[in-house]
Amino acid sequence: MNRKKINFKNYGIFVVFIVLVIILMILSPNAFAKPRNLINVVKQASINGVLACGMMFVIIAGGIDLSAGSVVALSGVVAAYLAQMQGIPIILPILGALGTGALIGLINGFGAAYAELPPFIITLATMSIVRGAALILSGGSPVFGLQEQFEGIAGISIANVIPILVLYFLLIAVFSGFILNKTVFGRHVYAIGGNSITAKVSGINVKSMLLRVYIICGVFSGIAGLLIASRTMQGSPTVGVGYEMDAIAAVVIGGVSMSGGSGKWYGTIIGALLLALISNGLDILGVSSNFQQIIKGIIIAVAVYLDLRGKKTSA
Amino acid sequence: MKKRIIVGLFLAVSLMMTACGGASDSKTTTAAETKAEAEATTAAGKEASTEKQEVSDVVKDAKAEQFSGAKNEEKKSMALFMSHMTNEFVKTLSSSVQKEAEELGYTGDSFKIYDGKNDVATQVSQIEQAVTLGVDGIIIEPVSTDGIVKAVKDAEKAGVKVVILNQRISDQNAADTFVGADNESTGAALMKKVMEDLDGKGNIVELLGPMGSDGQVGRSKGFDSVLAGYPDVKVIASDSADWDTAKALTLTENWLTSSDIQAVVAQNDGMAVGAAQAVKEAGLTDKIKVYGVDATSDGLNAIVNGGMTGTVSQGTEDQGKISADLCSNLIYGQSVPKEVIATNVVYTKENVNEILKK
Amino acid sequence: MSHLLEMRNISKDYPGVKVLDDISFSAEGGEVLALMGENGAGKSTLMKILMGIAQADRGEIFLEGNKEQFQSPKAAMDKGIVMIHQELNVLLDMEVSENIFLGREIKKKGIPARVDMDEQRKQAQAFLDSVGIKIDAKDLMRNLSVAQMQLIEIVKAISVHAKVIIMDEPTSAITEAEATILFEQIEKLKKAGVLIIYISHKMDEIFKISDKIAVLRDGHLIRVDETKNFTEEDLIRAMVGRELQDVYPKKTNHPGKVLFEVENLASGKYVKDVSFQIREGEVVGFAGLVGSGRSETMEALFGVSPREKGKLRINGAEIEIHNPKDAIRHKIAFATEDRKRSGLNLIGSIKENVTMVSLAEKISKHGIIQDKKEGEVTEEYIKKLRIKTPNGDEFVGNLSGGNQQKVVLAKWLLGEPEILIFDEPTRGIDVGAKHEIYELINVLSEQKKAIIVISSEMPELMGICDRLYVMSEGYITGELNKDEFNQEAIMRLASARKGGMTQ
Repeated sequence: MNRKKINFKNYGIFVVFIVLVIILMILSPNAFAKPRNLINVVKQASINGVLACGMMFVIIAGGIDLSAGSVVALSGVVAAYLAQMQGIPIILPILGALGTGALIGLINGFGAAYAELPPFIITLATMSIVRGAALILSGGSPVFGLQEQFEGIAGISIANVIPILVLYFLLIAVFSGFILNKTVFGRHVYAIGGNSITAKVSGINVKSMLLRVYIICGVFSGIAGLLIASRTMQGSPTVGVGYEMDAIAAVVIGGVSMSGGSGKWYGTIIGALLLALISNGLDILGVSSNFQQIIKGIIIAVAVYLDLRGKKTSA
Repeated sequence: MKKRIIVGLFLAVSLMMTACGGASDSKTTTAAETKAEAEATTAAGKEASTEKQEVSDVVKDAKAEQFSGAKNEEKKSMALFMSHMTNEFVKTLSSSVQKEAEELGYTGDSFKIYDGKNDVATQVSQIEQAVTLGVDGIIIEPVSTDGIVKAVKDAEKAGVKVVILNQRISDQNAADTFVGADNESTGAALMKKVMEDLDGKGNIVELLGPMGSDGQVGRSKGFDSVLAGYPDVKVIASDSADWDTAKALTLTENWLTSSDIQAVVAQNDGMAVGAAQAVKEAGLTDKIKVYGVDATSDGLNAIVNGGMTGTVSQGTEDQGKISADLCSNLIYGQSVPKEVIATNVVYTKENVNEILKK
Repeated sequence: MSHLLEMRNISKDYPGVKVLDDISFSAEGGEVLALMGENGAGKSTLMKILMGIAQADRGEIFLEGNKEQFQSPKAAMDKGIVMIHQELNVLLDMEVSENIFLGREIKKKGIPARVDMDEQRKQAQAFLDSVGIKIDAKDLMRNLSVAQMQLIEIVKAISVHAKVIIMDEPTSAITEAEATILFEQIEKLKKAGVLIIYISHKMDEIFKISDKIAVLRDGHLIRVDETKNFTEEDLIRAMVGRELQDVYPKKTNHPGKVLFEVENLASGKYVKDVSFQIREGEVVGFAGLVGSGRSETMEALFGVSPREKGKLRINGAEIEIHNPKDAIRHKIAFATEDRKRSGLNLIGSIKENVTMVSLAEKISKHGIIQDKKEGEVTEEYIKKLRIKTPNGDEFVGNLSGGNQQKVVLAKWLLGEPEILIFDEPTRGIDVGAKHEIYELINVLSEQKKAIIVISSEMPELMGICDRLYVMSEGYITGELNKDEFNQEAIMRLASARKGGMTQ
């Protein structure tokens, strides 16, 4: 009974995903259906997937983080800046990117939890501030000429088959799932998103929880920034514009409620994969990017509609 | 009617004052009079320049050395309006304008740079503001081909000299002159190089700028004009990656899975760098050539490293310098050509060191 | 002659459950029909069908002899059927007049999109005056008391010329004095020929104001009769289907030494100076009017709101409480007044709610939840407190009020507290569940726990407590031992001013 219900809840999104895969396999058996390309889809979902995992924490806790895309840029620039210096240990750019993310997360969390600013407002503010910081730090143009080891972070493949990006994505997804489902911390994230007053009365320190949740989102955005910088071997201050929207889309497609308190980690993963699937499949079919935007919008609306309907009939 | 007479009288008085300008005690002139004076001068200047524009023509394959600008001896002011300030290309362009302007004596408050943040409305209001503040000459790198035409006309009406830089506007007659590259010839120069490298046969893909943008339309036209002569070359795919490195990377990745490709031709270096990365990850660097446009430092760097095969310089620094020269000349009433097109230079591994030395 | 309202053979199934089975009854204008039944008996489904929020599978509705089928609340409202919900649907930041005319605003002549505020205020004021309510139509809703808001809802019903007004637990959030005003209005409505369908769990109210009672149980209509033909025992028997020996269980506890002391507590504008103490195994009640500072006192000592001054002692040793976490660590539990607002995570499962307080200490190791243990513990409490649910994964939002309240209690009991604060533990729940909670309180007191109960129902306090404190305007105005309990004494203390400490 219980098991049936869980399946039913995510019925809509899974159906859309599978139907889309089948359609693309029929339309493009020689290109899309190749195993190499299927790996590609996961790879292309990776960056957004990592961001979406962070966003998922914040949204389940009842917040939102609009600064994620800007954090990607700043942390990428910071990492590239450090990686530019020859002879510096490779761990420093990594820590630089993650630290940048954590710092912005701390600011967001402090603003949302302690200064009690609406999350939309504080992260809108940091979105602008952080983008500006990235442009200033980089002088407005990409930071390149990075030491070669830097590419090893995200630009390589394991046994020349599985891109290491995919591994990061899966690792972070499973880690997020574990934290949300299996730990006291995760349960408290759901609790404060479901009803923060109840959570407070039940002895949960809502403010410090929120702070930590925003730091997680910041760090994940920092990881995404690091990965992009490593893949493109440059730190671009203009990268990541609108990435937060793709991350939010993945989270919402995956069945996480924008009002907080509910949603499953694997839904978010499917959401990110679905978005990557759409653009990969349509690129291969030669559909122009302008049409792709329309198709993407329709699929988002349909997926969420089916998901909601699935939930209603199961309740 | 009455108004016109008053204005006429005012002008006449001002003209008299200008005539004996050197002799009169400038300290006693009021603010209003100063403004009138400026208006009168520019009105006269305008007449002169329109006359001269008829005799001047288009200068092609222009190099910076061919031009020189009037020294700013009268403390005139100049402003530069950039479409945005977020990539290598626009940065190079604006700093070369600034460098030349400073050399001509537009220093401190008499030279300002505005960042249009890729938004037409922002750029228009910035232009209006500068005109209101009494700028003498402006250089605009437009955000939009149509959106700023009216602002340009209003500036001219207020007696401000206008140089359009890099991207054309739809009504070029509205401004005094245009300095830039011809995207079509740039596209053609690049594609010609690609055809040479491929021996006139094979499969290629194109990474385009934002659809409908001036750069995209012109460069695509140039591509097509060359491709028409090579029936054995097939364009397998052609889509926009919005000048964006990460987008170009993904798009190229997807194309690589579906097709056999010999060359990726990108309309700017940022996208070419992304494409080169995708090619490299697929282990195809030796088999697929990657080209870009703009000769930005990351693009040139990729050529040195072997990730990219070639790029075309639109003479970015030359454009910047020439525009500052022409703007100053206009301010001081000298004649300028109606259009100056900077020369295209194709850079590959063989000659990349020439530009890197600069 | 046709009836004002007749419902004939109404049936409704949800997957696997017959929610309503062949319900037929009729009612006339000018009467108050009390709709009684335990939670889950089908009352709210029946009213949803009448209001057009849900559709019946079978059966018909007749209004003044005409067959109707309402597809939406708006359709029902257009025919003169209005419901005043338990949770008031008011817009706090709008004026009284705007709330009254919400959805049918008076438009300015000639300017279709403009609301004619002056005219609306004028008409709203006229309605208010005609009912005899002293509220300014220009007041912001936010500035009104809950009872006043309820009256506004009634005025709204009058203003649409309602023929049938459904009132769902209208007195659950208001004081007795305020309830009196409400009953006066009901009398007026009756005289005007309006049918009032009244849903409440409070027996005394039902007998006071209703003309007819319809009792539902498990989706069946058990009995419809004139109120005068019912005794309280009859009614309870009809509702629960069994005899209830006593509403309040026989007390078997033996208070011991003083466990918890509060000295000179002050917090905000509601708590001025409060001192009291509780023994282990003692049940202490807090009586007083709404706004007397009872809930706020508990919030302050539990660390929900800041404490300005005052000392807390457990077993004579002073303790520091700055937030609920501190309080929980000192084995204090606080089942708050409004379970939906501050007691439950409605979109969480029963399991998630039950373990919310004790997750870190009891159900996890190194921060990782022990799934098996969590499942077992949840099952244990579902059985112990007889929570009606298929399993622990059910959403709390789907449960009835009584079962929700039991989830709140389970949440706190799991932490094995020594001091328990119950704020309005039986508000809005049915007789059966109330009885179970009284029994639970009795059992806890037997186990030497110290228990504080806040309630607005005096019989309840007198029935289950060993001792009572009465509060008024932020002060404790009196203390009564079991042998001194009587309603008049409590009322006198509850309306006393500071210093009027009469024993």
